[in-house]
Amino acid sequence: MRSLIMALTATLALTAPASAHAFLDHAEPPVGSTMQKAPRSLSLWFTEDLEPAFSGATVTDTQGHTVDAGKSQVDPHNRRLMHVPVKALGPGSYRVNWHALSVDTHRTEGNYAFTVESR
Amino acid sequence: MGRPWLRAGLLALMTTLVPLGSAFAHCVVGNRFFPATLNVDDPCVADELSLPTISSFKTGDNPAANELDISGEFSKTITEDFGVSVGSTWTQLRTPGSPTATGFKNLETAFQYQLLKDPTHEFAMMASLGIEWGGTGASSVGADPFTTYTPTLDVGKGFGDLPTEAGWLRAFAVTGSLGYAIPGSASTTSVDPDTGDVTVTQNPRVLQWGGSLQYSMPYLKSAVVDLGLPDFANQLIPIVEAQFSTPVANTADSGAKTTGTVNPGIIYVGDTYQVGVEAIVPINRDSGGNIGVIGQLHLYLDDMFPKTLGRPLIDTSAIDKGR
Repeated sequence: MRSLIMALTATLALTAPASAHAFLDHAEPPVGSTMQKAPRSLSLWFTEDLEPAFSGATVTDTQGHTVDAGKSQVDPHNRRLMHVPVKALGPGSYRVNWHALSVDTHRTEGNYAFTVESR
Repeated sequence: MGRPWLRAGLLALMTTLVPLGSAFAHCVVGNRFFPATLNVDDPCVADELSLPTISSFKTGDNPAANELDISGEFSKTITEDFGVSVGSTWTQLRTPGSPTATGFKNLETAFQYQLLKDPTHEFAMMASLGIEWGGTGASSVGADPFTTYTPTLDVGKGFGDLPTEAGWLRAFAVTGSLGYAIPGSASTTSVDPDTGDVTVTQNPRVLQWGGSLQYSMPYLKSAVVDLGLPDFANQLIPIVEAQFSTPVANTADSGAKTTGTVNPGIIYVGDTYQVGVEAIVPINRDSGGNIGVIGQLHLYLDDMFPKTLGRPLIDTSAIDKGR
């Protein structure tokens, strides 16, 4: 145990600024939500700052057709926020596939679904 | 070189080597994050430090002893897919009618290789060779005089690839571990210092198996449905671990009875660390004399030191800049 404490001390001596993997924190429309009104763009908030050039998202419908309207963008004023423009969405379920590179070079990816309700 | 210096030397070597490349560790497989489990290994090579892990329980001996263990384990990636770990445990044994025994158990190391990470199916598989170095610990706390080699296969599977209709069930995941402990010596000879009697004890080969069932609230929020729960609740992973040992060869002295524990508990996952606590429930009298407890602070070194200690020593995969 004494040696482990010594090793921990040595480790802490190499201290660098802590960062972490960029995971999805929350989104608008929310993950798994059912919307009465189709969104014109999606917003994804992450737990860490993103590298804009290597982070992005696509949106597909249940047939696998892409419904995003152009390239997703990391907000220049808030690098934890990603905007994804989408086409006019009809009723149905949609899947968002995102990938992220945090500023400390950790890669993450994920996906979730939301639904636009029939009116 | 004495034992404390051997331990410190090994650990210092691992902590001071200068990383050369970029990093990608942590047990993240697609949408899924497998936390470091307290008893069975998680299925990923990683840069991490478990310090301390503290457990208290009654042993399965007769009479049962109160055992307190304080341990640490340091894991380091050499390449993105290959890593090593070193661990040590300090033990206190209080047996009724006997003096309290304290000391280190044998030093343990492991060489680990990431066989597979399948993001689509949230599946990970790791092979490892664990080595418990005989004679590096104190015999008074049960450290064996012989070295034991344990090849092990660890797997993890998340259920996020179930149909969307499965809903909240998709946040479940399981891990499994199967190892075969092979003593470096088939028998141990001991001499009673008082009578001079010689005793030969057969050292069994032991199947070590177990796993965990876990429910990831972080997964539920980020990949299934955001219920708007408080942040604290969204960081929890309720878990049940189980670990068993079954002697399968050279069992003349040990018998072939399976021992083990089932450990229900919970893990809180922070940005750069996790904290876990579990009950230790023995499956039979030979496995323990009461319900014990284990707690652990686990540090994600790849997140704490992303540009130094948290990177593989040798970079084998450039960042995919084409994504």
